[in-house]
Parts: sequence; structure tokens; C-alpha cells
Amino acid sequence: MRTGIFIALAFVATGVFIFSGLYPMGADTPHFRVTTWALEILRERSIARASSEIKAPTDLDSADRLLSGGADYNDMCAGCHLSPGVESSDLSMGLYPAPPNLTNHAHVELDSSVTLARSFWIIKHGVKMSGMPAWGRGHDDERIWNMVAFLERLPDLNPVQYQILTARAPMQSEETH
Amino acid sequence: MNLVTKIATALGATTLLISLSSNAHEASEHMKDAQSPDCAAMAEMDHEKMDMNDPVMAAMMKQCMASDAHGEVATTGDAHQEHAHEAASTDSDAEHNHEAAAPVAAAVVEEVHQH
Ligand code: HEC
Repeated sequence: MRTGIFIALAFVATGVFIFSGLYPMGADTPHFRVTTWALEILRERSIARASSEIKAPTDLDSADRLLSGGADYNDMCAGCHLSPGVESSDLSMGLYPAPPNLTNHAHVELDSSVTLARSFWIIKHGVKMSGMPAWGRGHDDERIWNMVAFLERLPDLNPVQYQILTARAPMQSEETH
Repeated sequence: MNLVTKIATALGATTLLISLSSNAHEASEHMKDAQSPDCAAMAEMDHEKMDMNDPVMAAMMKQCMASDAHGEVATTGDAHQEHAHEAASTDSDAEHNHEAAAPVAAAVVEEVHQH
């Protein structure tokens, strides 16, 4: 009986809070620490489970994959995840949660095959309520693996190497004249 | 048209527009903002440290040989060599300035091969 009343009150209180408009929705008001902690566990557990069956191709370390992944990264990701020599952008500063700077070494300590599967899954499916888009809607798995291959080497690249690797081959662009 | 249909149509049209503009893009659709690889900068790199077994190095070579070949691919021999040198002396020609990088890329390749 008592528990019943307690549960009912909790429901009502939650409803009142949701409709009251008191929740600070702005991306510039951070979560409470406990909320961040809970959300991060929710995200990591979910991704770990969903990506557990994904096997990375064995030939990720190839020049062709780097060129395909590099050009795509520069076009689609660098605005949020930055590039060598670029410390911040409007998107990297304004989004909450902030997009991690992928030119730095590993943010999440996992062994490498798990990291590869995790990156692949995140790029393909995106992350809810974070600004990280699901790229699988418009890009096939091979193209996503190429981006994963590029991310593996991105922290080692200096600005010159980055520029050369990510430029769309001029040979191809000539054909569009 | 009743209100619900109107709203549905408006939503549908908006969704369609948004999905069209952000649709799956083939690599070729990015060509409008194509940028030539800055191969001249490769010449300034420390060639001692270049390791051709490293995919990053191999990929850079591939990029710079591609811009060198300019659609003819590096198999056209002498004629192609001349073409490259000619381009080097007219590197003020903005439209074709990536050709100026050709001799540089060739020189880099030569040097790497010597090691
Ligand atoms: C609009 C901004 C935006 C764009 C564009 C974007 N991302 Fe993200 N990405 C994010 C945000 C924000 C996160 C963090 C999500 C979180 O913390 O829950 C993220 C997370 C990631 C992660 C997980 C990083 C980690 O170690 O936790 C990877 C990998 C990633 N993005 C890859 C990419 C790739 C590859 C592209 C381009 C194809 C891309 N992103 C484009 C915003 C973006």
C-alpha cells in the first residue's frame, strides 16, 4: 500500500517537472555530474553490446583506405572533430556533449579490435541526442571502414601529411570539367 | 484539404527537402570543393625518415604521383616528363598549378628509391 502511494507520487512529480518547463534545455548548461556519469555508462554499455559481433577487416592498414577515408573525414567530420593544427571550431566548442578531438590519441581505453568495432558502430549508427550523425544512411560499410582506418592514423599526422592525404585527387576532379 | 492533410503535406515536403539536400553523397559530388594535394611541401620533409612500407607514406606518394600524371598516368614516359617540366616553368598559371608539383614528387620518389 505505502509503496503504491510512493510510486504514484514519483510519477506525478516527474510529470509535473516535465511539463513545468523548469528543465534547463540549453546546450550551454552542463548536466549534473551524476547525470553525465549515468549517460556515459548507458552509451558505452549499449555500444559495447551492439558492436560485439562486428569484425574489422584485416587489411585496414592500406594506402587506398587511407585516401578514401581521409577525403571523407576532411569533408564530413573535421568541422566537429578537428584536424592537425586546428584546435577548435564553432561546432567543437558549441556542441554538448563536445565532439572529441580525434587528432588526439585514444579517448577510450579499450583493446584495439574493440576500439575498431566501436568506432565503426558509432560512425554507422551515430549517437542519440549528441549531434553525432548516423553515416550509415548514405555510406556503405566499406566506406565506413575506410574512415575507421583513417582515424587509426590521424593522431600521427602532421598538417602537411593531413593536407596531402585528404585532398580529393585532382586527377578525378579534372574529369568533371 | 483539411488541416491534418495540410500539416502532413507541409511536414512531408520539409522532410523531403532536408533529406535531399543531405542525401548520400558519392565521392564525385565533393569534387566542386576539390583541393589539390600540396605536394611541394613533401620536398621539405625529412626524406631520411620516409618509410615506403608505411601506408601513410605510400598514400602520400600515390596522391602526388596522381597529380603529377594529370590524367595520363605515369606510364607515358618521355613525353610525360617533358610535359611536367614545361608545367613547372609556368606555375603562375593558377588553373594548372598543381602540375608544378610534378618534378618535386618525381624528385622525392627518386630520393626515396636511393635509400
Ligand atoms: C555535427 C558534429 C559531428 C560531426 C559532423 C561528426 N561527429 Fe562524430 N561525434 C560528434 C559528437 C558530439 C560525438 C560525441 C558523442 C557522445 O559523447 O555521446 C561524436 C563521437 C564520435 C566518435 C566516438 C569518439 C570516442 O572516442 O568516443 C567517433 C569515432 C566519431 N564521432 C567519428 C566521426 C566521423 C568519422 C565523422 C565523419 C564521418 C563524424 N564523427 C562526424 C559530433 C560529430
